[in-house]
Amino acid sequence: MHSLVQPNSWVALRLPSGNLRVLQVAPNTTISLGKYGSFPTNLIIQRPYHLTYELQDRQPNENFNRLRIVPAAELYADILAEGEKTPVSEDATPAPDVEGADNGPSEAVEYSLVDPDSGAVVATTDRAEIDASARQTLTLDEIEALKKDGTDAGRALIAKLMLSHTAIDQKTEYSLAKYKLLKTRKYIRRFSILPLDVPMLDYWTLEDKDASRIMEMREEMIGLLGCWANVHFGGTDPCEAPPTLKTEQEGEDTKMEEPELVQTSAPGRWLVVDDTGGLLVAAMAERMGILYASEEDKLNREQRGAKHSNSRQGGSTAGQQPQIKDEEGSTQVPARQEDGSEVKPESEGATQSKSPQTSHKRPAEHVVPYAHANTITHIHPNAQPNLSFLRYYDFDITNPTHTPYHPLAKHLMTLSWLQLLEPELDSTYNSPPPRATPEEIYSWKTNRRSTYHRKRKRWVKTRHIIDTTRKGEFSGLVVASSMDPISIMRHAVPLLAGGAPIAIYSQSIEALTELADCYSLGRRAAWATNMPEGLADKTLEEQEKWTGNDDFPLNPSLVLGASIQTSRVRKWQVLPGRTHPLMSGKGGSEGYIFTAWRVKPAEGKVEARGKLRSRKRKVDDQNAAS
Amino acid sequence: MSTISPFLDPGPLTTPGALALVHLSRDNVVPVYLREGSGTVDGYSEGAVINTRFGSFPHSTLIGQPWGSQIRASIVDTGSRGRKKRKLGDVVATGAAATAVDDATGNDTEAVNSSTSHTRDVVKTAATGFIHVLPPTPEIWTSSLPHRTQVVYTPDYSYILHRIRARPGAQIIEAGSGSGSFTHAAARAVYSGYPKGPGDKRGKVWSFEFNHDRFLKMREEVEDHRLSRIVQVTHRDVYHDGFLVHSDDDDDDASPEAECVFLDVPAPWQALPHLSRRKPAPSLLASGGLEPLNSKKETSDWKSPLRADRAVHICTFSPCIEQVTKTVETMRRLGWMDIEMVEVAQRRINVLREKVGLNMPLERGTNQSPRNVDEAITRLKQIDGRFKEFYRDKRDVDVSMDDVDAEDGSDKGQAANGNVNGVVKGDVNAADTNTNTSGASTLKPWMAGRLVHRTEAEIKTHTSYLVFAVLPQEWSEEQEAAAFEKWPCGKEKKIIGSLDKETRKQEKREMLLGNKQKKTAAKAEGSSDLVERRPERT
Repeated sequence: MHSLVQPNSWVALRLPSGNLRVLQVAPNTTISLGKYGSFPTNLIIQRPYHLTYELQDRQPNENFNRLRIVPAAELYADILAEGEKTPVSEDATPAPDVEGADNGPSEAVEYSLVDPDSGAVVATTDRAEIDASARQTLTLDEIEALKKDGTDAGRALIAKLMLSHTAIDQKTEYSLAKYKLLKTRKYIRRFSILPLDVPMLDYWTLEDKDASRIMEMREEMIGLLGCWANVHFGGTDPCEAPPTLKTEQEGEDTKMEEPELVQTSAPGRWLVVDDTGGLLVAAMAERMGILYASEEDKLNREQRGAKHSNSRQGGSTAGQQPQIKDEEGSTQVPARQEDGSEVKPESEGATQSKSPQTSHKRPAEHVVPYAHANTITHIHPNAQPNLSFLRYYDFDITNPTHTPYHPLAKHLMTLSWLQLLEPELDSTYNSPPPRATPEEIYSWKTNRRSTYHRKRKRWVKTRHIIDTTRKGEFSGLVVASSMDPISIMRHAVPLLAGGAPIAIYSQSIEALTELADCYSLGRRAAWATNMPEGLADKTLEEQEKWTGNDDFPLNPSLVLGASIQTSRVRKWQVLPGRTHPLMSGKGGSEGYIFTAWRVKPAEGKVEARGKLRSRKRKVDDQNAAS
Repeated sequence: MSTISPFLDPGPLTTPGALALVHLSRDNVVPVYLREGSGTVDGYSEGAVINTRFGSFPHSTLIGQPWGSQIRASIVDTGSRGRKKRKLGDVVATGAAATAVDDATGNDTEAVNSSTSHTRDVVKTAATGFIHVLPPTPEIWTSSLPHRTQVVYTPDYSYILHRIRARPGAQIIEAGSGSGSFTHAAARAVYSGYPKGPGDKRGKVWSFEFNHDRFLKMREEVEDHRLSRIVQVTHRDVYHDGFLVHSDDDDDDASPEAECVFLDVPAPWQALPHLSRRKPAPSLLASGGLEPLNSKKETSDWKSPLRADRAVHICTFSPCIEQVTKTVETMRRLGWMDIEMVEVAQRRINVLREKVGLNMPLERGTNQSPRNVDEAITRLKQIDGRFKEFYRDKRDVDVSMDDVDAEDGSDKGQAANGNVNGVVKGDVNAADTNTNTSGASTLKPWMAGRLVHRTEAEIKTHTSYLVFAVLPQEWSEEQEAAAFEKWPCGKEKKIIGSLDKETRKQEKREMLLGNKQKKTAAKAEGSSDLVERRPERT
């Protein structure tokens, strides 16, 4: 994540009212905050995040409002002053029994409870009922007028409001503070700029936007999912390091064979089933360090962009970049350029003498543009993946070639359930485009050539994704899906490596209890003693692929430690003498997480030891006797 | 490659020397450092052995297996070790013990000795008992932790790490290593590869512990888990001595340049002044009731442990509300923003089958009371009928008392049987009932009953209060002026955000304008715009 607001990045503006406004900060644009005013984006570009700004009055010779950074001391002045008035000791909270016993300022403190979100008074202990609206002598018109020509970021207006309140002297210390806070929230022209990272995106979608789009997945759930699935930086690509590997593979048809990995390392590859529009993928990518494009990557792209005015598929070597040149730029329509540009390295490399820069590089069509470690494989139920939230991170899944510098371009693979389970039905996978010799290709017209390469490229990519996924050995499974988890587990569990953790999120518990019941103690014991007919003679591998029956929807011996949990975060208000949990929160789906580990059962019949077995035997005896 | 921590990359197989977690049951996981040791260990001829209530497992049976493997128990002589060796030295002596006895017994043991080298491979598998061997993760480790202090459990640390933005490559300060659960989770979160050299900066955990015993234990653990290049444990009283660390270039007070901070100490407010951008003025601290920092350094060359060009996220972990009040107050004084206090409530949920019904097999957990009103009525009728029959029989003087008893008993049995079958036929098909003697057993025992869930019997209702805050990076007048120079204002072309009605109408009007006209206009504007903007961007 960047420390400064980058041009054209998405940010969240928090207004004094607590509302969030998510915007893409395009340079030379004015951001309007509605009643709070407006300011130019150039005033926040390349400035730090988390600062609180105040809109200053427009200077006579300028047509925009400048911003002032509000120091923390000023923001907290009221609260700290209050804190000093009330005793700092442990009994700062006005206890009911304090009344009568006069000890300093805490005596006869009365306060009203105010819901911080709506600002409405929830309860009051004031003897004199204070009705704010009735005692305000300023009329609505007057306030409007003040708002219009109000100066000093609205503070003048607030001061005026306070002064013209007739009952201000009747207010207690706390209610006065509350009144000021209420008015400040309404009128002060302040805002702060926050980065739109995953926690913020989640919070914003949950609170302000459509929570159902992300299956009402709260932050604590995202955190739990990531931890229980053990999602972390999965190591560097073992294929990237030694350049020798690249030349070795030249000439092979599909490049599906991964180079012999050193057996002591299991590259981190995670399987994700995401129906939250990409929020889960983004969260996992953030944990793996592949969500944000580094500034250098971006810079490289921009320099390149200046030279060639097009971008190309992220090849694994930088040496490819200088090759994209002139001719297709004139013949191709702009939208096709990414694909058209794929032509160049190959045709040039094959037909002309290679430049020293490119001598170690594979032909472009053979380059599988994906990393072998630290990857996310996303399985989607529709023909196309829905990962629209990734656009906030400058990545467009429908056209990843637009942002080849983005780490997700190399580390995120997507395939549909059909492609995973019945690849023979997939037209791309199943029909390799005919191969042509370099001479043939050279003789073709440019657009035919580019079509050829585009097709081959797509085929290589699809094949790579499907084959590596079907090969399995994933490091973990993360699911947040509206589909039945049992059906997901049936096909996903065999793809996991031994010991790989599983974490499944569900909005409601029923789906997960059914899943957990598939791994219940009784069922596991029954499986161990009496496997379904015909299955006991089969190999472990066949048993793993078994699709289940009514008694055993899933093979219960493949998963260990199935358990369900839920977690909820409760927010508190911490103010001197007024510390309590917030009065209202978000309801809706509670959210549950199923966790377990993929295990490898021992071959043959395994009998348990311990009390359980003896009890079972007794039951069996009883059954036999009756 | 074996230098990589098993927490971060366990590899495909279990390897000697690595930490493995032996899963006995959900809440019973035993950490084991696999030892390939040749020779007798603790009197076991098989080498190191784990003894559990599910049997004995020599390490040799656990090594070289794929992670997650189910391992069968082995037949290990647990009772007579040590004793046997002394008594029947030449017969059962193995490994190192055998070599010791070698001189005394001569050729005879020689043969035994050579054969024992094979015994490891032919450890006999027991008939029953098994365990699973899992790769270590912070979650399982946390549940198997030897408690030294209060443990930061997964629901807490997962949320904390998410909120304080502990991501690969980050530097995180942790004060109060405690039991090490947070340390492991934090190491995984910030791990971005092992540093390849002194200048290669990767994600790192800077852990501080005040208690010397815990510090030693923690350092040993980090070493054992091969995390020492990712976690640096320092023995330190952070209240007084702050967070500067010993660095590679022999600098004794280098800044860890942290961007995330987690304080699990009794008085976080005393540690907070050290976590400032600049040396806080004594007057500022005094107003908050804190002592001035006892650093001898002048304000100018006082080093901040925080990363200068990033916002710093902090979380403090305190069980009491008074601690929170003080912490928050100090944070406000020191300029932390977005202060928020939360608590996390986690519940684990048990899934079970609730078996209610008169015909349920007699098992633990079944409730043999009527399943529904119909069943209750059927039974009541039956009892009533039997009752009446009994009294009718009684009134019948022709039957002797003994016979009544006998007859009644058989009647009862029949009635009960009929009842069972009648009820069962409701849900199980007739074919099944015929094949079995007992009707109830046709329904698979693991499928019987209604699937329900309950919160586990004991829940943690309070762990600690979490205070989150952010310290924005400093932004000087000069920086602001430079940025303003680079991004001059006053040439704004568009308005985004909340627009007033007039502007929205205008936009709509523009949108509805002829497509072609608009397109050409935009094109012309866009290209000129590009040309205009290019010089200022570079």
